[in-house]
Amino acid sequence: MADREEEELGASFRQSRRELWFMVTTWSVFAVWTVGYNATHAFGAGEGASIVWGLPRWVAFGVAIPWAIALALTIAFALFFMKDTDLGEVEEESKAKEANS
Amino acid sequence: MTALVSFGIYLVFVFVLAAVANREGKGKSFLSEYFLGSRGIGVWAFAFTYAATSASGGSFMGFPSLIYTHGWVLAWWIAGYMVVPLVALGLLAKRINQVGRIAGAITVPELLRRRFASNAVGNVATVLVVFFLFFFLMAQFKAGAEIMATLLEDVPVYREAVVAVENLSDGLPWVGAADPDYLLCLLFFAVSVIIYTAYGGFRAVVWTDVMQGIVMGIGVIVMLVLTLIQVGGLERATRELAEMTPPEFVEVAVVAGAASGEEKRFPRGTWLKTQDGDIVRLKEAATIPARAIESEMIEALRLTSEGDEERVEASGEIEKGIHARPGDVVDSYAFGANEKGVYTRAPGPSRDNPGGFLTVLLAISFFAFWNFSGAGQPSYMVRQMAFRDTITLRRAMVMVALYFSLIYFPLVVIFTAARILLPGMEIHPDRVMPEMAAALTQNAGIPWLAGLLVAAPFAAVMSSVDSFLLLVSSGVVRDVYQQSINPRASERRMRMLSYAVTVAVGIFGMLAVLHPPQFLQHLIVFASAGLGACFLMPMVFALYWPRMSGRGAIAGMVVGGAIVLALYLAGFLLTGQFGEYLLGGLHPFIWATGLSAAAIVFVSLADRPPEEGLRRRFFGGPGNRAGGPKSL
Repeated sequence: MADREEEELGASFRQSRRELWFMVTTWSVFAVWTVGYNATHAFGAGEGASIVWGLPRWVAFGVAIPWAIALALTIAFALFFMKDTDLGEVEEESKAKEANS
Repeated sequence: MTALVSFGIYLVFVFVLAAVANREGKGKSFLSEYFLGSRGIGVWAFAFTYAATSASGGSFMGFPSLIYTHGWVLAWWIAGYMVVPLVALGLLAKRINQVGRIAGAITVPELLRRRFASNAVGNVATVLVVFFLFFFLMAQFKAGAEIMATLLEDVPVYREAVVAVENLSDGLPWVGAADPDYLLCLLFFAVSVIIYTAYGGFRAVVWTDVMQGIVMGIGVIVMLVLTLIQVGGLERATRELAEMTPPEFVEVAVVAGAASGEEKRFPRGTWLKTQDGDIVRLKEAATIPARAIESEMIEALRLTSEGDEERVEASGEIEKGIHARPGDVVDSYAFGANEKGVYTRAPGPSRDNPGGFLTVLLAISFFAFWNFSGAGQPSYMVRQMAFRDTITLRRAMVMVALYFSLIYFPLVVIFTAARILLPGMEIHPDRVMPEMAAALTQNAGIPWLAGLLVAAPFAAVMSSVDSFLLLVSSGVVRDVYQQSINPRASERRMRMLSYAVTVAVGIFGMLAVLHPPQFLQHLIVFASAGLGACFLMPMVFALYWPRMSGRGAIAGMVVGGAIVLALYLAGFLLTGQFGEYLLGGLHPFIWATGLSAAAIVFVSLADRPPEEGLRRRFFGGPGNRAGGPKSL
């Protein structure tokens, strides 16, 4: 029964669902990195004094570096991994477009 | 004055774009064009309208004010934005666009209504959209008026206009009690946005968003360069920040050397020295009456950092011939008072919270909040229904990712450094952005550039207000009037009604914000949390879970909205101020979203399964859809 229901689902829906899981996993990885690193390094009297690239050390390793990696990953995902799908047309709007042209 | 001219040129461009957009929309299906740009939005337009709508008055007014007040910890607070383009666009965009086309929906409530073939779902969604968006509108109107007030405060024509407005509004109920500066700016700002939004519709909003997005981007980059030059580099700025301690708030009386026959006024922001050599800044205007030598006690800020004191002394801004007599301490920081390094580490100083500004649990909340609350905003959802094809989506995702990285992290750099260039802004932190723009350009000898820099937050505010205005009016016109009152209304009638409702919503929003709450960012976070909690989970499940029922959708929206309202109400009752109650240390959005998801699953499973036709239509392949019902 469950297999039959799964088969009836459109290919574009199944692809979107796979991409959804990728997003959720990516979010979790960066959340663990940022919150985990900063929770252990951003507090404490000495932390603000240590500077890397002009930033407090915890900002450099807990925010700036993951941000740069997340940016690269987003670009790679959008350009190379995300699949194109035919989104369809709305009948009423297509007619209006045709009439206009 | 030159700043005013460049700002005026910017406004003219906005109106020209609205006029061109109105011409472009002629001959197309009116409602689809007016509220959704005929689903033909390309890469640049989609990327910038998405980014510009996200970067609202909160990003350019409230966020800088928080950075200034709490320091580098705001880098962690905003860090969730590193994955916002991936998560917020990737989570819903492709599916929402596709389902919107299958349903023929123009608005978010309409999409939900048709997905579940239920008028009740659409009506609940409309009520919640209108309710929470109204708070957003209020916050943006306030931000727009504040920016204008800062830009125009020294312009003689403006001062005369303020006096005229004061005379005209004097004695009027509700309006007369508003600050005349604020009233005039609010009037000008609101009328400008209402005109171009009502006239040009969604396409005008998108085009102006592109221009405003570019202005914001350039504005931030220019400010970053000027800031780094003027503070002597980022490393030096961070080292100076590490030496700073938070100011104290004290009562002072302003004392003149001798009595005078005339009343003497000292505006808010005046710098004075006390007899002990401390430096204070007036938080409100002070008056020494005629034949008296001192004013009543008023609140002032006292600097506690040596570096700040030296900088203010060197600037020559301290008033001569008078001094301040200190009274009691009104308020010192609950966390971080007299502590060096508090601005460069977590949790950051806080006036109210003894645990500091950002706890670990709150940081987790915000990492989720920016991504998932963003994804749950109807203003973004409606944009995701409007892009042309998936190639547009993929390229826009790249642009938005680059854009957010260029905006948010640099803002943290700029406004942590602002503590060095502009000490004592805690007296009015929401104005730090325009004040910083003015100071940077003044110091660099290019005051005309202030117009462009101030246009950046102004653009951010405008690009959000116009989106919210259209969303609220589309809710009324399409979801209430056309769906429930007059389904056979002619296109001409719908056109006139759309214009009229957009204008009416704008005017109502303007009147509601004549006496705004103090902290802009609280209002914005409340509205974002409310909308995100109401719509994120219902929309995610509606797009990805075929078994979800209409009753499940209603339960998800109502539970999400109710939890946010309840926790803000609890916050108000416990503290007497507008703010959230952090149950278990977590932001209300987290609780509301989790319980909204649970309500959807529980109610849907308890309900009978949806019709097979609906499932085939929205989840099947193209071949299966034809057999499905048309729904509502």
